[in-house]
Amino acid sequence: MNNYEKFKEKAEAVQGIVTKINSLDQAFLYVEDVFKKNDFKNKTLAAPFFDEKALSDASESLKNNKISVVTKDLRNQKEGVDVGLTFADFGIAETGTLVIDSSKEDLRLATMLSQIHVAVLPESQMKEKTEDIENELNAVLSKDAAYLAFITGASRTADIERVLALGVHGPFELHILVYEGV
Amino acid sequence: MNDKKKELKDEIQKSLENKFLRKSMNNFALAYRQGHAKAYSGLDKDKLVSDVVEVKDNALNDMAALSDKFAKKAGSKGMKVHFAKNAQEANQIIADIAKETGTQKIVKSKSMTSEETLLNHYLDDRKFEVTETDLGEWIIQMRHEGPSHMVLPAIHLSRYQVSDLFEDVTHKKQDPENIDSLVKVARRELRKKFAEADMGITGANFLLADSGTVGLVTNEGNARLASTLPKTHVVLAGIDKVLPSISDALKILKVLPRNATGQTLTSYVSWITGQTECFSHEENKKDIHIVLLDNGRSEMAKDPEFSKVFRCVRCGACANVCPVYRMVGGHTMGHIYIGAIGLILTYFFHGRDEAEKLIGNCIGCGACRNICAGGIDLPNLIKAIAHRIEKEKGESPVSGKLLSAVMKNRKLFHTLLKFGKYAQKPVADSNGYLRHLPMIFAKEHNFRTLPAIADKSFRDMWNEVKPRLENPKMTIALFAGCVQDFIYPEQLKAFVEILESENIAVEFPAGQTCCGLPLKMMDRVETVKDITDQNLEAFDPNRYDYIVTLCASCASQLVEYPMIKKGERSENFADKIITSGKFLSDIVKPKLSKDLSGKKVTFHSPCHLHNCMKADNEAKEMIRKTGAVFEAAEDEMGCCGFGGSYSIKYPEISSQILKNKVEDFLKTGACEVITECPGCIIQLRGGVDKENADIIVKHLAELVREAK
Repeated sequence: MNNYEKFKEKAEAVQGIVTKINSLDQAFLYVEDVFKKNDFKNKTLAAPFFDEKALSDASESLKNNKISVVTKDLRNQKEGVDVGLTFADFGIAETGTLVIDSSKEDLRLATMLSQIHVAVLPESQMKEKTEDIENELNAVLSKDAAYLAFITGASRTADIERVLALGVHGPFELHILVYEGV
Repeated sequence: MNDKKKELKDEIQKSLENKFLRKSMNNFALAYRQGHAKAYSGLDKDKLVSDVVEVKDNALNDMAALSDKFAKKAGSKGMKVHFAKNAQEANQIIADIAKETGTQKIVKSKSMTSEETLLNHYLDDRKFEVTETDLGEWIIQMRHEGPSHMVLPAIHLSRYQVSDLFEDVTHKKQDPENIDSLVKVARRELRKKFAEADMGITGANFLLADSGTVGLVTNEGNARLASTLPKTHVVLAGIDKVLPSISDALKILKVLPRNATGQTLTSYVSWITGQTECFSHEENKKDIHIVLLDNGRSEMAKDPEFSKVFRCVRCGACANVCPVYRMVGGHTMGHIYIGAIGLILTYFFHGRDEAEKLIGNCIGCGACRNICAGGIDLPNLIKAIAHRIEKEKGESPVSGKLLSAVMKNRKLFHTLLKFGKYAQKPVADSNGYLRHLPMIFAKEHNFRTLPAIADKSFRDMWNEVKPRLENPKMTIALFAGCVQDFIYPEQLKAFVEILESENIAVEFPAGQTCCGLPLKMMDRVETVKDITDQNLEAFDPNRYDYIVTLCASCASQLVEYPMIKKGERSENFADKIITSGKFLSDIVKPKLSKDLSGKKVTFHSPCHLHNCMKADNEAKEMIRKTGAVFEAAEDEMGCCGFGGSYSIKYPEISSQILKNKVEDFLKTGACEVITECPGCIIQLRGGVDKENADIIVKHLAELVREAK
């Protein structure tokens, strides 16, 4: 089993949804599809620090679908955020985990406040084990300030009668788009 | 009975009456066992645990220096580090930070350390509004209860209780059957609290000294919100949480979620260092404080015996597998810290009085030691705490003193056992069960009918049954144990007959006595030493190929002799110990000719057999080799509730455990339950008899003898 297959198996075991894309346009098409499948009231997409060109390329289509885009000041989004679109820095196949440097507040909030988090993971950043990126992790943590997140599946709880329920505080769903050839 | 013990007994009775609790604890115990096995499949758990031990032990040896290093590094990045000697100091530091930062509203994510310091009470008293945001913690906070599990704090509550509570909170009708919608209530209500809060308080699973980083392991995501939205973040953590670097933490992270919940990894692991971007703070960067709590930890670290406790990663597994926890839940099986580790930590963090109340709860089954992510010898540490408490109080129970005097003298002990047979005459019936209990037992003990002492003990029949072989292929010594020697000699006889027909010589050293386990359970440390000496003198290990016992509990004690008496003889002795099932299955491989295929049997795995001897699979293999139809019971590894003297001290718990076991056997449709410990046999036969169940309890040796 290669890293992608392993990653997919592990992420799906914790209700993650994994697909491959080969352009960022596809990421936006995917996001529009997510909006179509869900009945969100205000249709808000948070995409802080996302690829600016891809975002502007997609802007017209998003507008046509009545999706409003926010890229900053997420904490003051009184109506909440429906979908958060971010990049992931690394994928860990062994556990189906995304590693995201979330030091920027708005990026962090996009992964926390949204109902559905869609993360784009460049294929080349897929590693087998966490130990394989120890140097990179240390490089982030040796900075003056950093907030580094390992995200494995959606937010979950089993606090009521040990029944699994998703989205207790964070996203109900986690979608991972593995960006091929990058 | 002193007040503390009376209080515990009352609590036990109350817990047992709570039917929901019992059912959910049972389901949890079974589901946990499966989830745990699955999470470790394909991995070498022993290796992973030994990595944790290495990391934790190294950190312990360096605790003071590491926490200084962490404080310097974190301080250099603008995090404010505070050292707190005790709980009061920690709470005061946090209240002072709240005052200085103009805090009114506080959100908290789950922190056992803040439970330890009773932080919420302290902040409540000072009029801060504190909201727990972990779903389970929020629920119990509103119910004014403490957690009943370290990972699942509200496991004692039903969906109906939660639904009622949420109706009060929202003033809206809730559907108790729709747990997803109950969870959404929490999401909605708590989002408001996060948005309004001035301060977020979290614990820490790791503190990394090389980078001044706080590591948080969570599933719900509330710790992420608590550490992100408010302008001030306070981390409360014990000084034992400091590790050199992330590579150490990653090793613990391999075991912690697997042991806690059977997860490969939790949903979120967050690593926070320095003053991160925070737009609710006027300087756009987080005001972050770390309160490092000692509260007895550095004292404990100096103790050669109890410093092992620092290997604990707070996974809660020791509660998950504890048969007593399973019956009574965490409010009875713990003060604030729950489970086996809780019995020990309570003594250090919350004092002797609280610890004394709990310490008798250990049944000595070894399940916690077997599951522990840090490889801590929990049962022996619990015993050591009990011994300490007794020494500190300078008292020794009268019955214990008398027992010690008797046990020091093997001949007196065995003579008394033989006399017991006359003393019980009026009450034993023809089936060999005591129908009315002698006066020494209280009425609660009537849950099982006790067996009668045999007319002729094994040691008295030894001359008749001893195999006389000319050219044996090997020689073994038999360690009989008191129960089989004096109550079930026929089991030993059956075993000897098997070996005789396989041309194996058996010796029965007459100087042998009790293995010492019951005395250990009654905290008679000195007497255990005397007994160990007596048995080591009786058995010269060099004369035998193996020393075999038919009692898994005795075996678990005999292999610990090198810890009680150091030296080559006790090492050799322990090396030669083998349980009868493993011996028959792996070494003897007896030729069997009878057809038992018409018989359906099931198996009860004695706690000491799987937890301590790891020989349950061999016993089952031997059952299969007899040709009998084997049907596994769902809760095959569940404790029978005997636990030696435990069933006499806490009959309420013991009787409930037993009742569940009998029901579990009946579900298999087997006509016989096979097991490998005479203590379990006393308990199970008594339970079967009391419940009038149509099933026979046998020792494995008896089944194999039948198949001969």
